[in-house]
Amino acid sequence: MNASGHYFIADKAVLAFDPAKTGLAVTMRADQEVLSPLEASRLLMAVAAKRDRAAFAVLFAFYAPRLKAFLRRSGMTASVAEDVAQETMLLVWKKASYFDPARAGASTWIFTIARNARIDRLRRDGRPAAIAEALDPSDQPDEPVSGEQAMIAAEREERVRTAIALLPPEQADILKKSFFGEETQSEIAYTTGIPLGTVKSRVRLALGRLRQILDDLK
Amino acid sequence: MIKHHPSDETLFRYANGSLEPGPRIVVAVHVGGCATCASRIGEFEALGGSLLHDSEWDQMDAGALDSVMARIDADEADHTRAAAPGRRLPRADVGIRLPQVLDDCGIGPWRWIGPGVRWSRVTLPDDDSANVMLLKVTAGRRLPEHTHVGLEYTHVLKGAFHDARGRYGPGDLDEADDEVQHQPIVDKEGECICIAAVEGRTKLRGLFGRLVQPLFGG
Repeated sequence: MNASGHYFIADKAVLAFDPAKTGLAVTMRADQEVLSPLEASRLLMAVAAKRDRAAFAVLFAFYAPRLKAFLRRSGMTASVAEDVAQETMLLVWKKASYFDPARAGASTWIFTIARNARIDRLRRDGRPAAIAEALDPSDQPDEPVSGEQAMIAAEREERVRTAIALLPPEQADILKKSFFGEETQSEIAYTTGIPLGTVKSRVRLALGRLRQILDDLK
Repeated sequence: MIKHHPSDETLFRYANGSLEPGPRIVVAVHVGGCATCASRIGEFEALGGSLLHDSEWDQMDAGALDSVMARIDADEADHTRAAAPGRRLPRADVGIRLPQVLDDCGIGPWRWIGPGVRWSRVTLPDDDSANVMLLKVTAGRRLPEHTHVGLEYTHVLKGAFHDARGRYGPGDLDEADDEVQHQPIVDKEGECICIAAVEGRTKLRGLFGRLVQPLFGG
Protein backbone atom coordinates (compact mmCIF):
# COMPACT_ATOMS: atom_id res chain seq x y z
CA MET A 1 0.00 0.00 0.00
CA ASN A 2 1.23 3.48 -0.66
CA ALA A 3 0.70 6.83 0.92
CA SER A 4 -2.40 7.64 -1.10
CA GLY A 5 -4.31 4.68 0.26
CA HIS A 6 -4.34 2.61 -2.91
CA TYR A 7 -3.50 -1.01 -2.62
CA PHE A 8 -1.71 -2.70 -5.45
CA ILE A 9 -0.86 -6.22 -6.33
CA ALA A 10 1.70 -6.32 -9.09
CA ASP A 11 0.57 -3.68 -11.57
CA LYS A 12 -3.16 -4.00 -10.98
CA ALA A 13 -4.97 -1.68 -8.63
CA VAL A 14 -7.24 -4.22 -7.00
CA LEU A 15 -8.67 -2.03 -4.36
CA ALA A 16 -8.80 1.60 -3.51
CA PHE A 17 -10.10 2.23 -0.07
CA ASP A 18 -10.25 4.80 2.60
CA PRO A 19 -8.78 3.38 5.81
CA ALA A 20 -11.05 5.62 7.85
CA LYS A 21 -14.13 4.00 6.34
CA THR A 22 -12.99 0.44 6.86
CA GLY A 23 -12.58 1.10 10.54
CA LEU A 24 -9.45 -1.00 10.55
CA ALA A 25 -6.31 0.18 12.19
CA VAL A 26 -4.09 0.40 9.16
CA THR A 27 -0.51 1.49 9.41
CA MET A 28 0.13 3.70 6.43
CA ARG A 29 3.49 3.03 4.90
CA ALA A 30 5.01 4.95 2.08
CA ASP A 31 7.41 2.15 1.39
CA GLN A 32 7.15 -1.00 -0.57
CA GLU A 33 9.60 -3.43 0.94
CA VAL A 34 10.54 -5.57 -2.00
CA LEU A 35 10.70 -5.15 -5.74
CA SER A 36 12.80 -7.52 -7.80
CA PRO A 37 14.97 -5.96 -10.54
CA LEU A 38 13.08 -7.98 -13.13
CA GLU A 39 9.70 -6.79 -11.90
CA ALA A 40 10.94 -3.20 -11.79
CA SER A 41 12.01 -3.43 -15.45
CA ARG A 42 8.66 -4.90 -16.41
CA LEU A 43 6.80 -2.09 -14.62
CA LEU A 44 8.92 0.57 -16.31
CA MET A 45 8.19 -0.93 -19.69
CA ALA A 46 4.48 -0.96 -18.87
CA VAL A 47 4.72 2.76 -18.07
CA ALA A 48 6.48 3.34 -21.40
CA ALA A 49 4.15 1.23 -23.51
CA LYS A 50 0.76 1.79 -21.90
CA ARG A 51 1.16 4.82 -19.67
CA ASP A 52 0.27 2.35 -16.94
CA ARG A 53 -0.46 4.37 -13.81
CA ALA A 54 -0.83 1.39 -11.52
CA ALA A 55 2.62 0.19 -12.58
CA PHE A 56 3.95 3.69 -11.94
CA ALA A 57 2.39 3.73 -8.47
CA VAL A 58 4.22 0.51 -7.55
CA LEU A 59 7.50 1.98 -8.81
CA PHE A 60 6.77 5.17 -6.87
CA ALA A 61 6.08 3.26 -3.66
CA PHE A 62 9.40 1.46 -3.93
CA TYR A 63 11.73 4.09 -5.36
CA ALA A 64 10.51 7.49 -4.12
CA PRO A 65 11.33 6.82 -0.43
CA ARG A 66 14.73 5.40 -1.38
CA LEU A 67 15.45 8.35 -3.65
CA LYS A 68 14.53 10.70 -0.85
CA ALA A 69 16.96 8.95 1.51
CA PHE A 70 19.69 8.94 -1.17
CA LEU A 71 19.23 12.65 -1.84
CA ARG A 72 19.12 13.53 1.83
CA ARG A 73 22.29 11.57 2.46
CA SER A 74 23.99 13.47 -0.32
CA GLY A 75 23.45 16.66 1.65
CA MET A 76 19.97 17.95 0.84
CA THR A 77 17.46 18.95 3.48
CA ALA A 78 14.44 16.66 3.90
CA SER A 79 12.14 19.07 2.06
CA VAL A 80 14.48 19.57 -0.90
CA ALA A 81 15.11 15.81 -1.01
CA GLU A 82 11.33 15.25 -1.07
CA ASP A 83 10.97 17.74 -3.89
CA VAL A 84 13.79 16.27 -6.00
CA ALA A 85 12.56 12.72 -5.35
CA GLN A 86 9.14 13.75 -6.72
CA GLU A 87 10.79 15.52 -9.63
CA THR A 88 12.81 12.38 -10.37
CA MET A 89 9.68 10.21 -10.40
CA LEU A 90 7.98 12.69 -12.73
CA LEU A 91 10.98 12.37 -15.07
CA VAL A 92 10.79 8.59 -14.77
CA TRP A 93 7.23 8.84 -16.08
CA LYS A 94 8.17 11.21 -18.87
CA LYS A 95 11.29 9.41 -20.00
CA ALA A 96 10.11 5.84 -19.53
CA SER A 97 10.29 5.23 -23.28
CA TYR A 98 14.07 5.76 -23.13
CA PHE A 99 14.46 2.95 -20.64
CA ASP A 100 16.07 -0.03 -22.28
CA PRO A 101 16.57 -3.10 -20.07
CA ALA A 102 19.27 -4.25 -22.47
CA ARG A 103 21.38 -1.26 -21.42
CA ALA A 104 20.82 -0.92 -17.70
CA GLY A 105 18.69 -2.26 -14.91
CA ALA A 106 15.71 -0.26 -13.66
CA SER A 107 17.45 0.85 -10.46
CA THR A 108 20.53 1.96 -12.39
CA TRP A 109 18.45 3.90 -14.88
CA ILE A 110 16.41 5.57 -12.14
CA PHE A 111 19.63 6.34 -10.27
CA THR A 112 21.01 8.20 -13.31
CA ILE A 113 17.77 10.23 -13.59
CA ALA A 114 18.03 11.15 -9.91
CA ARG A 115 21.70 12.03 -10.25
CA ASN A 116 20.92 14.38 -13.13
CA ALA A 117 17.94 15.89 -11.31
CA ARG A 118 20.21 16.52 -8.35
CA ILE A 119 22.87 18.13 -10.55
CA ASP A 120 20.19 20.27 -12.12
CA ARG A 121 18.83 21.37 -8.75
CA LEU A 122 22.24 22.26 -7.38
CA ARG A 123 22.99 24.23 -10.52
CA ARG A 124 19.72 26.15 -10.31
CA ASP A 125 20.43 26.90 -6.68
CA GLY A 126 23.68 28.42 -7.85
CA ARG A 127 25.93 25.91 -6.19
CA PRO A 128 28.86 24.32 -7.95
CA ALA A 129 27.62 21.20 -9.66
CA ALA A 130 27.91 19.43 -12.92
CA ILE A 131 26.16 20.15 -16.16
CA ALA A 132 22.59 19.73 -17.25
CA GLU A 133 21.03 16.46 -18.10
CA ALA A 134 20.94 17.41 -21.77
CA LEU A 135 24.47 16.10 -21.96
CA ASP A 136 23.75 12.80 -20.32
CA PRO A 137 23.96 9.76 -22.55
CA SER A 138 20.92 8.19 -20.84
CA ASP A 139 18.81 10.89 -22.48
CA GLN A 140 19.86 10.08 -25.99
CA PRO A 141 17.76 7.65 -27.94
CA ASP A 142 20.34 5.02 -28.63
CA GLU A 143 20.95 2.77 -31.52
CA PRO A 144 19.45 -0.68 -31.11
CA VAL A 145 21.54 -2.98 -28.98
CA SER A 146 22.78 -6.32 -30.14
CA GLY A 147 22.02 -9.52 -28.23
CA GLU A 148 25.61 -9.52 -27.07
CA GLN A 149 25.33 -6.02 -25.61
CA ALA A 150 22.11 -6.96 -23.84
CA MET A 151 23.88 -9.80 -22.14
CA ILE A 152 26.74 -7.50 -21.21
CA ALA A 153 24.34 -5.08 -19.47
CA ALA A 154 22.68 -7.79 -17.37
CA GLU A 155 26.04 -9.34 -16.56
CA ARG A 156 27.46 -5.99 -15.57
CA GLU A 157 24.72 -5.38 -13.01
CA GLU A 158 25.28 -8.80 -11.54
CA ARG A 159 29.04 -8.43 -11.54
CA VAL A 160 28.88 -5.11 -9.72
CA ARG A 161 26.60 -6.56 -7.03
CA THR A 162 28.93 -9.49 -6.55
CA ALA A 163 32.04 -7.29 -6.50
CA ILE A 164 30.64 -5.06 -3.77
CA ALA A 165 29.80 -8.14 -1.71
CA LEU A 166 33.36 -9.41 -2.16
CA LEU A 167 35.02 -6.17 -1.06
CA PRO A 168 36.35 -6.05 2.49
CA PRO A 169 33.59 -4.36 4.56
CA GLU A 170 35.61 -1.24 5.35
CA GLN A 171 36.39 -0.72 1.68
CA ALA A 172 32.76 -1.26 0.67
CA ASP A 173 31.81 1.25 3.36
CA ILE A 174 34.18 3.98 2.20
CA LEU A 175 33.00 3.54 -1.40
CA LYS A 176 29.34 3.72 -0.40
CA LYS A 177 29.99 6.82 1.67
CA SER A 178 31.88 8.57 -1.08
CA PHE A 179 29.50 7.42 -3.78
CA PHE A 180 26.50 9.00 -2.14
CA GLY A 181 28.56 12.04 -1.25
CA GLU A 182 27.32 11.44 2.25
CA GLU A 183 30.48 12.89 3.53
CA THR A 184 33.13 14.70 1.58
CA GLN A 185 36.61 13.30 1.91
CA SER A 186 37.49 16.18 4.22
CA GLU A 187 34.49 15.35 6.41
CA ILE A 188 35.44 11.68 6.52
CA ALA A 189 38.92 12.80 7.55
CA TYR A 190 37.49 15.04 10.25
CA THR A 191 35.02 12.56 11.73
CA THR A 192 37.42 9.63 11.70
CA GLY A 193 40.52 11.58 12.66
CA ILE A 194 42.33 10.05 9.69
CA PRO A 195 44.44 12.54 7.71
CA LEU A 196 42.88 13.71 4.42
CA GLY A 197 45.71 12.25 2.35
CA THR A 198 45.07 8.87 3.97
CA VAL A 199 41.32 9.09 3.25
CA LYS A 200 42.09 9.89 -0.37
CA SER A 201 44.46 6.99 -0.71
CA ARG A 202 41.94 4.67 0.96
CA VAL A 203 39.29 5.65 -1.59
CA ARG A 204 41.87 5.09 -4.32
CA LEU A 205 42.78 1.69 -2.87
CA ALA A 206 39.13 0.66 -2.53
CA LEU A 207 38.50 1.65 -6.16
CA GLY A 208 41.58 -0.28 -7.24
CA ARG A 209 40.38 -3.36 -5.37
CA LEU A 210 36.90 -3.00 -6.87
CA ARG A 211 38.43 -2.72 -10.34
CA GLN A 212 40.47 -5.87 -9.75
CA ILE A 213 37.42 -7.84 -8.60
CA LEU A 214 35.30 -6.55 -11.48
CA ASP A 215 37.97 -7.56 -13.99
CA ASP A 216 38.42 -10.97 -12.36
CA LEU A 217 34.68 -11.58 -12.64
CA LYS A 218 34.67 -10.87 -16.35
CA MET B 1 44.35 3.51 -30.12
CA ILE B 2 43.56 5.30 -26.88
CA LYS B 3 46.38 5.00 -24.35
CA HIS B 4 45.54 7.53 -21.66
CA HIS B 5 42.24 7.39 -19.81
CA PRO B 6 40.70 9.29 -16.91
CA SER B 7 41.44 7.70 -13.53
CA ASP B 8 38.87 5.42 -11.89
CA GLU B 9 38.33 8.16 -9.30
CA THR B 10 37.36 10.59 -12.03
CA LEU B 11 35.01 8.08 -13.69
CA PHE B 12 33.54 7.32 -10.26
CA ARG B 13 32.86 11.02 -9.76
CA TYR B 14 31.43 11.28 -13.27
CA ALA B 15 29.04 8.44 -12.45
CA ASN B 16 27.93 9.78 -9.08
CA GLY B 17 27.48 13.31 -10.39
CA SER B 18 30.10 15.03 -8.26
CA LEU B 19 32.54 15.90 -11.06
CA GLU B 20 32.38 19.61 -11.77
CA PRO B 21 30.83 20.94 -14.99
CA GLY B 22 34.07 21.82 -16.79
CA PRO B 23 35.91 18.54 -16.15
CA ARG B 24 32.63 16.71 -16.72
CA ILE B 25 32.31 17.90 -20.29
CA VAL B 26 35.94 17.09 -21.09
CA VAL B 27 35.49 13.60 -19.65
CA ALA B 28 32.21 13.30 -21.61
CA VAL B 29 34.12 14.06 -24.81
CA HIS B 30 36.59 11.29 -23.98
CA VAL B 31 33.90 8.79 -22.99
CA GLY B 32 32.01 9.50 -26.21
CA GLY B 33 34.91 7.92 -28.08
CA CYS B 34 36.13 5.39 -25.53
CA ALA B 35 34.20 2.14 -25.07
CA THR B 36 36.45 1.14 -22.15
CA CYS B 37 35.59 4.22 -20.10
CA ALA B 38 31.92 4.10 -21.14
CA SER B 39 31.81 0.58 -19.77
CA ARG B 40 33.55 1.61 -16.54
CA ILE B 41 31.07 4.41 -16.03
CA GLY B 42 28.33 1.84 -16.69
CA GLU B 43 29.79 -0.21 -13.85
CA PHE B 44 29.86 2.72 -11.45
CA GLU B 45 26.32 3.66 -12.42
CA ALA B 46 25.28 0.07 -11.78
CA LEU B 47 26.92 0.47 -8.38
CA GLY B 48 24.71 3.53 -7.84
CA GLY B 49 21.66 1.54 -8.95
CA SER B 50 22.51 -1.27 -6.60
CA LEU B 51 23.08 1.10 -3.67
CA LEU B 52 19.77 2.83 -4.45
CA HIS B 53 17.92 -0.49 -4.68
CA ASP B 54 19.27 -1.65 -1.32
CA SER B 55 19.10 1.79 0.28
CA GLU B 56 17.42 2.72 3.49
CA TRP B 57 14.37 4.85 2.83
CA ASP B 58 12.68 8.00 4.09
CA GLN B 59 8.94 8.40 4.41
CA MET B 60 7.60 10.53 1.57
CA ASP B 61 5.13 13.30 2.36
CA ALA B 62 1.48 12.22 2.49
CA GLY B 63 0.01 12.77 -0.94
CA ALA B 64 3.37 12.74 -2.75
CA LEU B 65 2.14 10.27 -5.36
CA ASP B 66 -1.08 12.22 -5.88
CA SER B 67 0.88 15.40 -6.36
CA VAL B 68 3.14 13.79 -8.98
CA MET B 69 0.07 12.29 -10.69
CA ALA B 70 -1.52 15.73 -10.77
CA ARG B 71 1.59 17.13 -12.47
CA ILE B 72 1.48 14.29 -14.99
CA ASP B 73 -2.19 15.09 -15.70
CA ALA B 74 -1.44 18.77 -16.10
CA ASP B 75 1.41 18.02 -18.52
CA GLU B 76 -0.61 15.60 -20.57
CA ALA B 77 -3.64 17.90 -20.78
CA ASP B 78 -1.42 20.61 -22.14
CA HIS B 79 -0.30 19.09 -25.43
CA THR B 80 0.03 22.41 -27.14
CA ARG B 81 2.78 23.68 -24.96
CA ALA B 82 6.01 23.48 -26.87
CA ALA B 83 9.24 22.81 -25.07
CA ALA B 84 11.04 26.03 -24.34
CA PRO B 85 13.69 26.50 -27.02
CA GLY B 86 17.16 26.08 -25.62
CA ARG B 87 19.54 28.97 -25.55
CA ARG B 88 21.44 29.10 -28.82
CA LEU B 89 25.02 29.94 -28.15
CA PRO B 90 27.25 31.40 -30.84
CA ARG B 91 29.54 28.87 -32.46
CA ALA B 92 32.64 29.92 -34.31
CA ASP B 93 34.16 27.63 -36.92
CA VAL B 94 37.33 26.30 -35.34
CA GLY B 95 38.36 24.30 -38.38
CA ILE B 96 37.68 20.80 -37.06
CA ARG B 97 34.54 18.82 -36.51
CA LEU B 98 33.80 18.91 -32.79
CA PRO B 99 32.41 15.92 -30.88
CA GLN B 100 28.63 15.74 -30.70
CA VAL B 101 28.62 16.11 -26.94
CA LEU B 102 29.65 19.74 -27.47
CA ASP B 103 26.69 20.50 -29.76
CA ASP B 104 24.91 22.69 -27.20
CA CYS B 105 28.04 24.55 -26.14
CA GLY B 106 29.09 27.96 -27.34
CA ILE B 107 32.41 28.03 -29.18
CA GLY B 108 34.40 31.24 -29.33
CA PRO B 109 36.68 32.29 -32.16
CA TRP B 110 40.38 31.42 -32.04
CA ARG B 111 42.36 34.07 -30.26
CA TRP B 112 46.09 34.54 -30.21
CA ILE B 113 47.57 33.92 -26.81
CA GLY B 114 51.26 33.56 -27.41
CA PRO B 115 53.63 32.46 -30.16
CA GLY B 116 52.11 29.43 -31.86
CA VAL B 117 49.26 29.10 -29.37
CA ARG B 118 45.59 30.01 -29.83
CA TRP B 119 42.62 29.40 -27.63
CA SER B 120 38.84 29.44 -27.98
CA ARG B 121 36.43 29.70 -25.10
CA VAL B 122 33.88 26.91 -24.68
CA THR B 123 30.68 28.02 -22.92
CA LEU B 124 28.49 25.37 -21.35
CA PRO B 125 24.76 25.79 -22.03
CA ASP B 126 23.88 26.00 -18.35
CA ASP B 127 27.01 27.13 -16.67
CA ASP B 128 28.78 30.25 -17.84
CA SER B 129 31.41 30.13 -15.17
CA ALA B 130 33.07 26.81 -15.97
CA ASN B 131 36.57 27.16 -17.30
CA VAL B 132 36.63 25.13 -20.49
CA MET B 133 38.60 25.94 -23.61
CA LEU B 134 39.94 24.66 -26.87
CA LEU B 135 43.65 25.08 -27.47
CA LYS B 136 45.54 24.96 -30.70
CA VAL B 137 49.30 24.71 -30.71
CA THR B 138 51.40 24.69 -33.87
CA ALA B 139 53.52 21.73 -34.90
CA GLY B 140 56.76 21.16 -33.06
CA ARG B 141 56.17 23.82 -30.43
CA ARG B 142 57.61 23.27 -26.97
CA LEU B 143 55.50 24.70 -24.17
CA PRO B 144 57.04 26.18 -21.04
CA GLU B 145 57.76 23.81 -18.19
CA HIS B 146 55.05 24.08 -15.60
CA THR B 147 53.12 22.41 -12.78
CA HIS B 148 49.43 22.39 -11.98
CA VAL B 149 47.38 23.50 -9.02
CA GLY B 150 44.40 21.19 -8.78
CA LEU B 151 43.42 18.71 -11.42
CA GLU B 152 43.52 19.69 -15.04
CA TYR B 153 41.89 17.58 -17.75
CA THR B 154 43.14 17.79 -21.30
CA HIS B 155 41.65 15.73 -24.09
CA VAL B 156 43.37 15.57 -27.48
CA LEU B 157 41.04 16.18 -30.42
CA LYS B 158 43.63 16.41 -33.16
CA GLY B 159 47.39 15.93 -33.44
CA ALA B 160 49.58 14.86 -30.55
CA PHE B 161 51.94 16.07 -27.87
CA HIS B 162 54.43 14.25 -25.71
CA ASP B 163 56.28 14.79 -22.47
CA ALA B 164 58.31 12.69 -20.05
CA ARG B 165 55.21 10.64 -19.19
CA GLY B 166 54.36 9.57 -22.69
CA ARG B 167 52.66 10.55 -25.90
CA TYR B 168 49.12 11.86 -26.05
CA GLY B 169 47.25 11.47 -29.32
CA PRO B 170 43.66 11.85 -30.49
CA GLY B 171 41.23 10.36 -27.97
CA ASP B 172 43.72 10.44 -25.10
CA LEU B 173 42.85 12.26 -21.92
CA ASP B 174 45.60 13.66 -19.75
CA GLU B 175 44.70 14.11 -16.11
CA ALA B 176 47.43 16.18 -14.53
CA ASP B 177 47.60 17.11 -10.86
CA ASP B 178 49.96 19.23 -8.83
CA GLU B 179 52.50 16.43 -8.74
CA VAL B 180 52.96 16.59 -12.48
CA GLN B 181 55.66 18.88 -13.73
CA HIS B 182 56.07 18.67 -17.43
CA GLN B 183 57.07 20.37 -20.60
CA PRO B 184 54.87 19.14 -23.40
CA ILE B 185 56.09 19.24 -26.96
CA VAL B 186 53.69 19.10 -29.89
CA ASP B 187 54.55 16.57 -32.60
CA LYS B 188 56.38 17.90 -35.64
CA GLU B 189 53.85 16.36 -38.03
CA GLY B 190 51.07 18.83 -37.36
CA GLU B 191 49.23 21.15 -35.05
CA CYS B 192 47.56 19.86 -31.89
CA ILE B 193 44.03 20.79 -30.80
CA CYS B 194 42.81 19.93 -27.31
CA ILE B 195 39.84 20.62 -25.10
CA ALA B 196 40.85 21.38 -21.54
CA ALA B 197 39.20 22.17 -18.22
CA VAL B 198 40.39 22.75 -14.73
CA GLU B 199 38.79 21.76 -11.47
CA GLY B 200 37.28 24.52 -9.40
CA ARG B 201 36.23 28.01 -10.26
CA THR B 202 39.50 29.39 -9.17
CA LYS B 203 42.08 30.78 -11.48
CA LEU B 204 43.59 28.62 -14.11
CA ARG B 205 47.17 27.96 -13.30
CA GLY B 206 48.11 24.91 -15.28
CA LEU B 207 49.70 24.60 -18.64
CA PHE B 208 47.04 26.41 -20.51
CA GLY B 209 45.85 28.29 -17.49
CA ARG B 210 49.12 30.10 -17.22
CA LEU B 211 48.74 31.14 -20.81
CA VAL B 212 45.09 32.13 -20.77
CA GLN B 213 44.62 33.34 -17.23
CA PRO B 214 44.92 37.01 -18.17
CA LEU B 215 42.09 36.51 -20.64
CA PHE B 216 39.82 35.14 -17.96
CA GLY B 217 40.49 38.26 -15.95
CA GLY B 218 42.54 36.22 -13.45
